[in-house]
Amino acid sequence: MNISVNGVAYETESSPLTPLLDVLREELGITSPKAGCHQGGCGACTVLVDGEARRSCILPAAYADGAEITTVEGLGAPEQLSTVQQAFVHHYAAQCGFCTSGMLLAAQAYLNHGGTDDPSGIQEALGGHVCRCTGYLKIVDAVAAAARGELFDLTTTAVGKYTTLTGGGVE
Amino acid sequence: MKVVGARIPRYDGVAHVTGRTTYVDDVRVPGTLWAKALRSPHHHAGIKSIDTRPAEEMEGVRAVVTHEDVPLNVYGHLSALGIPADEPLLAEGDVRYLGQPIALVAADDEDLAAEAVSRIEIEFEERPALLDVRKAFDADAPVIHQWGNWYPHFEAEMDRRQIRKGDVAAAFEQADVIVQGAYRPAAIEHAPIETQVCQVVPEPSGRLTIYSCTQALYFSMGVVAAHLQCSLNKLKFVGGTTGGGFGGKVDTATETMCCLLALRSGRPVKWRWTREEEFLCSSTRAPWHMEVADAVTSDGWILGRKMLTLHDAGAYARFSPYGLTKHSFHHTGAYSIPNLEFDGYVVFTNRSPTSAMRGFGVTSVSFATETQVSRIADVLGLDPIEIRLKNANRIGDTSPNGVVYTDPSTVSTLQALAESTGVELSAEYRTMTSEPRTGEWLPEHLVPQLGNPEEH
Repeated sequence: MNISVNGVAYETESSPLTPLLDVLREELGITSPKAGCHQGGCGACTVLVDGEARRSCILPAAYADGAEITTVEGLGAPEQLSTVQQAFVHHYAAQCGFCTSGMLLAAQAYLNHGGTDDPSGIQEALGGHVCRCTGYLKIVDAVAAAARGELFDLTTTAVGKYTTLTGGGVE
Repeated sequence: MKVVGARIPRYDGVAHVTGRTTYVDDVRVPGTLWAKALRSPHHHAGIKSIDTRPAEEMEGVRAVVTHEDVPLNVYGHLSALGIPADEPLLAEGDVRYLGQPIALVAADDEDLAAEAVSRIEIEFEERPALLDVRKAFDADAPVIHQWGNWYPHFEAEMDRRQIRKGDVAAAFEQADVIVQGAYRPAAIEHAPIETQVCQVVPEPSGRLTIYSCTQALYFSMGVVAAHLQCSLNKLKFVGGTTGGGFGGKVDTATETMCCLLALRSGRPVKWRWTREEEFLCSSTRAPWHMEVADAVTSDGWILGRKMLTLHDAGAYARFSPYGLTKHSFHHTGAYSIPNLEFDGYVVFTNRSPTSAMRGFGVTSVSFATETQVSRIADVLGLDPIEIRLKNANRIGDTSPNGVVYTDPSTVSTLQALAESTGVELSAEYRTMTSEPRTGEWLPEHLVPQLGNPEEH
């Protein structure tokens, strides 16, 4: 099979029914999608397949034949972070970081489809993604900031109030 | 003081959002074998026979390990503190919880390892299981642990954590009302998004390099060295990056077993638990059973407390005696109750061994105490914040185990709570401070417990 990951073309040898996650992680060595449950439940393995957010742990590799895959490595490198990556750092939206790749790609798909900073829309888009550290508010704040096109230079941090869901005021 | 009080960017933030953070599962070592465990399908059973040869004979299976291959199979998590050991690394003779590891396999890939585990021939003799702490003391309860159904090794070989302070009998005689409550918070699984995972590499020097998701690296190092009966300098632990733990990665779940397989096979070994294993077999926050009776006056002073706690340790002790001790020290919560009778038991059941989780031993008793104080306020018709302020810890008050408080924050916390929720406190409570008790805030019953904060 032929897949393209972050613009680089690969010819893969895994069998067509191998989960795309295992092709990426084990055959290609691209480890940013995480195996949190391997049953489609947590969202940590999410990647973009032709721009759509997909759970790679339950997606047969054959489905991605000929497709363009995007992982967080393809969103932006450390010296050139994308809008949503900058917002996650600024808003402390990544704590242990294990769910972060999936969150970022779901957020990117939401923004690609014209998603706004409306909290209910963000919650809907990220609803199937499990985080056990940050408590979601910071993540929703980060996606909202990205939706507004806010840019951060990484020397600043959020002010310490969750804004999106509460309308401000909760420390 | 550039950092205190400042908000600084996370040092690992950029790595997290670019996929550059290397978790244990992301470590790549060529030639790595996959590990899998044969686990108990029963809550409680004897092992009548086990034959690992069908697994060993499979092509691609590189190592099979049972309790016979562990230099020191039984080592307790608190052995270093002199607490006797009770838990085998790999089950020997019997299994006491569903999911308990019995044998380990390392094979060329994950599917092959799972297949090899399924080929191990094992015969069990099912035994009655004990799953409810309240039944552990019944005459007809099955005995499920070699020490009996509750831990017998507290100081002076007591079978409970006991606290006696002041004169409880007198407090209950003086009380206007006795308020009782029973509180039973359930077990909680930490459910980190990264399941338990470990990668061990045997080095040409004879050392083992251990990539671990542990939250307690040097502690895990000691546990591995004890089981393997090797010196610490044979183990090189690489840790520091954990995909969520919350206390669930304090116990040494995978490291020792991967080391055994690596030593046996001479190959790198990796073990990543499935989500199902994480839920079924990893430690949880303990379920607790707490019964509280408080002697209170009609104007809201709590004169005394009797409390019974049953801490569900699951099948083995692990850290539970420590957790229960913390629990006992905090059993009055943020309040000064001078007359106390506390008895706490670490009870064994046929559940997964329980362990640390975010405020080990203390969240349970905080839940009980706060609910109980609100209940007292309801019974007496008093304001729930004012009754808390009245009994709040002040400088010079003493904890259940006699520690003198020098900087308690209960008063200011409650005042901030009232302010942020729009509760109007009366003037005497609005102006209250944590300064040592005097006047109306030092009723007769609180005098004997006072300590001298200057001495601490």
